[in-house]
Amino acid sequence: MHNNKLRPILLVEDNPKDLELALAALQRCQLANPVEVARDGAEALDYLYGRGRWLNRVAGDPAVVLLDLKLPKIDGLEVLERVKSDPLLRQVPVVMLTSSREERDLVHSYELGVNAFVVKPVDFHAFLQAIQDLGMFWGVLNEPPPRGGRNA
Amino acid sequence: MTVPAPLSGQPVDLSDCAREPIHLPGSIQPHGALLVLRPDTLEVLQASRNAAELLGLPIWPTGATPPGAPAALGDTLRAVLGDWLLAPGAAPLHTVALGQRQFQLSGHLGPQGLLLEFEPALPGELESLDALYPHLRRFVDQLEAEADIAALAQLAACEVRRITGFHRVLVYRFDEDWHGTVIAEDGDGSLPSYLDLRFPASDIPPQARELYRRNRLRLIPDAGYLPVPVEPALSPLDGRPLDLSAAALRSVSPVHLEYMRNMGTAASMSVSILVDGRLWGLVSCHHAGPRQVGPQIRSACDFLAQILALQLAARAQGAEAAERLKLKELEAGLLARVAQAPSVQDGLLDQPDAWLALASAQGAAVLREHGVSRTGRTPDETQLQALAAWLHQQGKPAVFATHELPALYPPAQAWADSGCGVLAVSISALHPHYILWFRPELVHTVRWGGPPDKPAPGEDGRLHPRRSFSMWTEQVRGSSARWSAAQLEVVQSFRNAVVSFVLRRAEERAQLSERLEASNRELEAFSYSISHDLRAPFRHIVGYAQLLGEREAALDTRSRHYLDSIVESALAAGQLVDDLLAFSQLGRSTLSMTAVDMDKLLDEVRRSVRIDQGNRQVEWRTGPLPPAWGDAALLRQALSNLIGNALKYTRPRECAVIEITGEQRDGETVYSVRDNGVGFDMAYAGKLFGVFQRLHRAEDFEGSGIGLALARRILERHGGWISADGRLDQGAVFRFGLPATPHENSADA
Repeated sequence: MHNNKLRPILLVEDNPKDLELALAALQRCQLANPVEVARDGAEALDYLYGRGRWLNRVAGDPAVVLLDLKLPKIDGLEVLERVKSDPLLRQVPVVMLTSSREERDLVHSYELGVNAFVVKPVDFHAFLQAIQDLGMFWGVLNEPPPRGGRNA
Repeated sequence: MTVPAPLSGQPVDLSDCAREPIHLPGSIQPHGALLVLRPDTLEVLQASRNAAELLGLPIWPTGATPPGAPAALGDTLRAVLGDWLLAPGAAPLHTVALGQRQFQLSGHLGPQGLLLEFEPALPGELESLDALYPHLRRFVDQLEAEADIAALAQLAACEVRRITGFHRVLVYRFDEDWHGTVIAEDGDGSLPSYLDLRFPASDIPPQARELYRRNRLRLIPDAGYLPVPVEPALSPLDGRPLDLSAAALRSVSPVHLEYMRNMGTAASMSVSILVDGRLWGLVSCHHAGPRQVGPQIRSACDFLAQILALQLAARAQGAEAAERLKLKELEAGLLARVAQAPSVQDGLLDQPDAWLALASAQGAAVLREHGVSRTGRTPDETQLQALAAWLHQQGKPAVFATHELPALYPPAQAWADSGCGVLAVSISALHPHYILWFRPELVHTVRWGGPPDKPAPGEDGRLHPRRSFSMWTEQVRGSSARWSAAQLEVVQSFRNAVVSFVLRRAEERAQLSERLEASNRELEAFSYSISHDLRAPFRHIVGYAQLLGEREAALDTRSRHYLDSIVESALAAGQLVDDLLAFSQLGRSTLSMTAVDMDKLLDEVRRSVRIDQGNRQVEWRTGPLPPAWGDAALLRQALSNLIGNALKYTRPRECAVIEITGEQRDGETVYSVRDNGVGFDMAYAGKLFGVFQRLHRAEDFEGSGIGLALARRILERHGGWISADGRLDQGAVFRFGLPATPHENSADA
């Protein structure tokens, strides 16, 4: 419950309503972690690699990437694939957060090495609960890799 | 009188008659003389032994003793032959005078030389050719007027008898098996009538028929004649026996002479009737005593028979053309309907009369992958299947016809009354698919002109023809009426049309399944987008409504109710989307089959529905359940849906009683979920498992109406079933069965 508090949560979401609801949910968790928002797959990769508008960001991996599956430009599965195939990034926990209940998306995500797959519940209270659980687990409970990966 | 045995010294068997080389008898009949000359020098090569005496010339063939000289022929003859050799035509050639006597001379040129036949002119014959003309003229006029074949034949018989003066003249017609039937007769009563009698094919063996075809006219003026040998026996030109095929004087088989004597005729003449080059029949003349007929009259008879043959050919062609036209019309009508029908069999069954009429059949059937369709009198389905399998196995031609099926296919004896004759048309190269027409057994009586036995060897070791010509009747069984050439033709063309039609249908089906696949793909894309895009807005509605509710703590009751209703509706819509998605995914996902502990599964389900159960009083009656074989997750869903249903519809009860039982049956495991709820009217039982079918008002019982459809789909994908039994206000019971595992089956054994 130490390092993680400082690490941001990267939320990758293109739908403004989903984004708003997700941010509202995260706010209610009262997590200390900052939340960074990327609006598409390309931005997500920019953040992770510290380039583009994140060229000068503080170094370090996020505590978790909450990744929407359907995204403009580079979609969620592609981002996942890039992260998990990069030796420098693959220890970053990625949680698919998606509307999709399609089995093949689930299967494909696990094949690519996803850390968790969460279907957004329709009920807002359930959605709140899910986001809260995610934030608590990855932001607080989960021990990151020793020396916090490359930025230790 | 002694007649040399045709094959003396050789063993005799019943086929000898057919082997006898009757065109090489080595002798002629004594009413004329024969000379064979070398065409270039007119030197005499061979001569009948009676030639010198009959012709009054000192003729001796080359090599014979004493040697002869060509000069002996005489100048008249030499001149005639010289002219004729410039353009050798058919006999009769000429009337020549040799010494004091007039002869009718005929001849033909062959590889063995120039064969000349001399017959003494009969008194009064010279002027008879002119006298014959009016007869022939009248005959032709009458023929034109007659329509049917029997009447034409009768006219011919009368006219030939008038010209020739024989006691009896028959017109004899061959059938497909070369049996002959007397179809017309004219006689003066001296000889018995043979009208309508049938004579067996063996009476006229094949090589005799071939001679009848090549040489249209034969005369035997006296069956008791002594054959006159031709000398020398072998041709000096090729060293072989002299071929007398074309010679009118050719000596006939002793078997034939004996046949004539047995028949009671001393003289006979026959003229071949050739239709389209094929032996159609004979004009056969008989006389009780010897009777000579000159070449002129014989030619007139030949002429007459040829006119008759032309008329017969014309009539046959006319009848056949009419039949073809009629059949073509039938075919066109049939095909038009078949082409519009959903399938070949539907098209045929739609017009059974035309179908039968196409082949003048009493029964018809079509066999295809979906089974057998029949009309009229046919064998039963099993027999038809067996017949089709046999046809397929035998590799019969695309159009196969027989009027004697039992002889080829013995099982057909059992159903001779419906199918002694079959016309089978194959409509698939790969499968035993056929269109079949059937004709029943035609038991008919044949009146034979004596028992149809072959000539048999007698005590003397040589062949003897039958002696009895008294009428003998026979019941013929095991055959139907024959299929006509026109019928076979039209059926062939019908087959071609049907086959191309079937092929087109197959192509259309292939196209359809392509389209179906494409639309399935679209549907899949659709369900994918439902998953993504339709769930999101519902989530947003619920989310914002709930956020609003939390922010506005002071909302009045009505506003609160509106907000709650928004959330409720969006949640229900979201649930509906989820259910729909689950239903559509069920058809696509693969099952992972394992042994499923149903007791454990039931416990899980009961735990998961505890929330729905709330504070209600529920009495569970569950015994130990037999294990199932299936996809555990899907079976859990099916059971959960049924139990959810039971809970839902028992809500009005003070105490819900839900009973779940299971039993192992033969080859399947059957489970049932019984409740004491509101039940349903059995009249709607069929609708129960339909997608989005509801039997209750939405406000009474919630739900998307997809739960039972989902349960059914799950069970059907397992190869199982589900059924429901209910009574209004008295509860319901749902039963479902799953096929037993292969493992359990082998354990039972």
